[in-house]
Amino acid sequence: MESAARNISFKEKANKALGIVPEDAIISKSYLFVSFIALLVGGVLGLLQGLNRAGLLELPLWFNYYQVLTAHGILLILVFTAFFTIGYFYAVLSHTLDGLLPKVRKMAWIGFGLKIFGFVLAVIPIIMNEASVMFTFYPPLAAHPVFYIGLVFIVVGVWMCAFGSFIQVANWRKRNKGEHVPILSYFATGVFVLLFFGSVPVAIEVFMIIPWALGWVETINVMLSRTLFWAFGHTLVNIWYLTAISAWYVVVPKVIGGRRFSDTLTRLVIIMLVVLNIPGGFHHQIVDPGITESVKFLHVFMSLAIGFPSLMTAYAMFSVFEKTAKKKGGKGVFAWFKKLPWGDVRFLAPMIAMIAFIPGGAGGIAQSTNQLNQVAHNTMWVVGHFHLTLGTTAVLTFFGISYWLVPFISKRVLTPAINKLGVIQTIFWTVGMIFMAGAMHWVGLLGSPRRTSYTTYSDHATALGWDPYLFFLAIGGTLLMIGIIIQVYAVIHLMFFAPKGETEFPIAEVEENATKTPYWTERWGVIIVIMLLVIAMGYVIPLVEMIVNAPPGSPPYSPW
Amino acid sequence: MNQFIFGFLLLIFLALPPVAYLLESIMIVHMHMQMPLLVIAGFLMAIFFQNKFPQFFENWNHNGIPGILLFSIIMIYWMIPRAMDDALTFQTVELFKYISLPFLAGVPLRDSWQKISSKMKNAVIMIFTMIFFAMGWLYIKWPEQLCNNYLIIEQVTLGWGFLTMGVCMTIYLVYNGLVDPTAYERE
Ligand code: HEM
Ligand SMILES: [Cu+2]
Repeated sequence: MESAARNISFKEKANKALGIVPEDAIISKSYLFVSFIALLVGGVLGLLQGLNRAGLLELPLWFNYYQVLTAHGILLILVFTAFFTIGYFYAVLSHTLDGLLPKVRKMAWIGFGLKIFGFVLAVIPIIMNEASVMFTFYPPLAAHPVFYIGLVFIVVGVWMCAFGSFIQVANWRKRNKGEHVPILSYFATGVFVLLFFGSVPVAIEVFMIIPWALGWVETINVMLSRTLFWAFGHTLVNIWYLTAISAWYVVVPKVIGGRRFSDTLTRLVIIMLVVLNIPGGFHHQIVDPGITESVKFLHVFMSLAIGFPSLMTAYAMFSVFEKTAKKKGGKGVFAWFKKLPWGDVRFLAPMIAMIAFIPGGAGGIAQSTNQLNQVAHNTMWVVGHFHLTLGTTAVLTFFGISYWLVPFISKRVLTPAINKLGVIQTIFWTVGMIFMAGAMHWVGLLGSPRRTSYTTYSDHATALGWDPYLFFLAIGGTLLMIGIIIQVYAVIHLMFFAPKGETEFPIAEVEENATKTPYWTERWGVIIVIMLLVIAMGYVIPLVEMIVNAPPGSPPYSPW
Repeated sequence: MNQFIFGFLLLIFLALPPVAYLLESIMIVHMHMQMPLLVIAGFLMAIFFQNKFPQFFENWNHNGIPGILLFSIIMIYWMIPRAMDDALTFQTVELFKYISLPFLAGVPLRDSWQKISSKMKNAVIMIFTMIFFAMGWLYIKWPEQLCNNYLIIEQVTLGWGFLTMGVCMTIYLVYNGLVDPTAYERE
């Protein structure tokens, strides 16, 4: 034990002295750069939509609402989050596993190239108004085939990065026999396992769609493709969640000067999220026909099972805050509240992210219920829900990470001025989201549909009643746009212009008297087989039904 | 002792008429959920018997082979379509299911699994993998109802359940064969 402790401190010293390997830094920098540019462009498009929904702006025919919406969705849900996650976790792998292997570095670059190439392919038909299918691209809406071919390249690029991470981790374990993979790299493993297995169903879907979009086959099984899409879409949600909580469990405790929560339980949460996640996809199809009620019932159970690790995370966070505050001499039930470094953006942003998850998670549980889902489904409520969960919980955590990660990989420092700017940006984001997501939730309950350009339905009274809320949506959207500009400025500044220096990669240690983590948590082969069994349990019944008793199928429709 | 209680409660729970009815109403759930859960109940309860009758297990299951054989026979018996029909038709057969799966499959499995070598374990998994592929093929391809109680679509679903489990076990075996734990773990 003693020698292990000495080892760690030696490694820490070495890392401090040398920082990140320049070749690895440039990988993460490139990924993060693309990510934040996508945020900027996606944000502008979001603002256009918000203004349109409020009736303040009519979009021209050559750049219509559904084109904008498709681009907004793909840029933010796919490009921004995926590039951020990969850039962040590759920095983690490099930092905690002694630098990337040359082979792995190459794979990260090939993955980068494939993704950018695929993205360009997908964007061309969107700009040409031949692919206004939204980010879900459900059949029977059919885009130009090039759009789907672009998606294939993106998926293959993601796989490259996933396998790169597996090679890196396996290699480290061979060099460090019997040791646990450092916790952040353990998170990375979980995320890349999900990225790989979650994108298999969507790859199958895309290979079903391509011949159909090309006209080689006449019809497509709509239910099947929706189901395959959500097996992926839902997994993506848990990838964001895992990425965000990696910072909550490991980085936030360090930033507030405490220690992290039980190592065993942290790893258990990761395993549970990986094993239980994929069949949760059915909660996006609660009102879909063609899935029997009993199967839907079983899947509500699956969805709510994910609630357990979430509640455990909430418990873990409060436990860490309390312990840290006690150590700093805080007294009373709410002492922890005053002892926290609210002025430090590296803490403030993820903290607000966590707080946003309380209403966000509650809304999620509510809409998993069959009856309530029938009220909320495809209304603006849902858009409010994911701007709160993804757009705030995940995204604000990503922003919080950027204030130390970008200077770390750029060998620069976070100046007090930029920290202050970060705090201001967090406030803009919070207030903007309260307005925008709040208005979206409310107007959704009043019946305003999602994915619908502004219309008053011939001045129908109900539709006119939505207008005041949609106006709040536009105000919130404007505040968010200011937030995005500040954020992107901060990232660019920290990447290229901030003063040179060494920034710490904040990783909290476990408590001194922590119990030993059982070794079986490292046996990913077994965890993956269990995960596959759970997937089989969730999918065999509905998929067989959908395929064997399939309706005639649908020809492609392109209504633009 | 805790484990025994959990196993026992699980067995009681599975025997509750509404639970049994729900699980048995879907063919694949009947075979791939209720039956394994019964085995797990026995697996959990095994501790009690091992502590109570150590001599019995020592005498009759000294090297683990008899136990694993008994387990396999019981499992294979319950994969026969006819057996499920019987269980739904005759109370006595249903009773036999609730006794045989926990006590004649679950208990010996636990006692044997600790005793047999890892080669033997892989052989057992391999045999079951092959059986699963064969059963999957049978249930998917057979053009008629194999059970009076279940429709063809349920039969096909069960077949795919067998195939996917077979695939999972194959992946496990390949992983086991390719990855050498001594390269990663200290003894
Ligand atoms: C300036 C900030 C933002 C504004 C003003 C904004 C506004 C909007 C609006 C008005 C909609 C469309 C509602 C509809 O007609 O259905 C929308 C959809 C969406 N937004 Fe945002 N948003 C912003 C930021 C974000 C962020 C940061 C993310 C995720 C990281 C995000 C993800 C999405 C997604 C996935 C959709 C759904 C697209 C679809 O239905 O196909 N948005 N946003
Ligand atoms: Cu979901």
